[in-house]
Amino acid sequence: MATTKLGFIVQRPGYKSENPKLALTHAIASQSVEIYLKDGDIVTADIAFIGDGVLNCIKGQKAVENYDLNSTESHIKMSLLLDLNVLVCKEDLERFGMTESDIVIDAPEFGAEVEVKVVPYTEISKMMEEMNHLLFF
Amino acid sequence: MKLVAFVSDYKMTVDTLDRLKPEKLGIILVQNGVYHATTKEKGKPSSLLNYSADYYVLQEDLETRGLSGANVIDSKVKVIKFGDIVDLMFNEYDKTAWL
Repeated sequence: MATTKLGFIVQRPGYKSENPKLALTHAIASQSVEIYLKDGDIVTADIAFIGDGVLNCIKGQKAVENYDLNSTESHIKMSLLLDLNVLVCKEDLERFGMTESDIVIDAPEFGAEVEVKVVPYTEISKMMEEMNHLLFF
Repeated sequence: MKLVAFVSDYKMTVDTLDRLKPEKLGIILVQNGVYHATTKEKGKPSSLLNYSADYYVLQEDLETRGLSGANVIDSKVKVIKFGDIVDLMFNEYDKTAWL
């Protein structure tokens, strides 16, 4: 039985490029690979927003209304529904003058039971050290 | 020359705007460029707002990112819609540039 840990690090703002949202779609997709694994093997996915990437987490995104696009906000909520560990860098939020009240924290409307965690960068760094594979977006 | 420049990135690594010397300059903040209008880093507004220019920010791109006109930090930046961009391009400026 083996566990493969994937870490998705988002460091760019969203929407101009598909790149930051791909981190979320890849993390979500990683949870559907059981059919390719041996019994007992699992894949976990952690997501961390750092640097300008924290701007992806601002709540109230109206991407569907304006561009008929699924919002990055909804992807973050989907990640929570799958119990993925979603971290946001506290120092980078503060750099932009933002707090937890400005960003997506939970997704009760999706039935998600876990929440986004705003943590110091040291904690994100620790998470990155624990991963088998790190993917930067 | 009357030039309107679209700024679509938040972090800019070129100084093109410094080198342009139009008689009239407009800067339209679109896509991730809208963060120049709404975001302070360590309490400081974007240096992009220091040019002698008329500033505009696209409402649709603000809203897509969870922002609105209420988040615009400098009153010299006017919130406009797509239709207004067309009017500006045809009525106010000779040339356009996309940065």
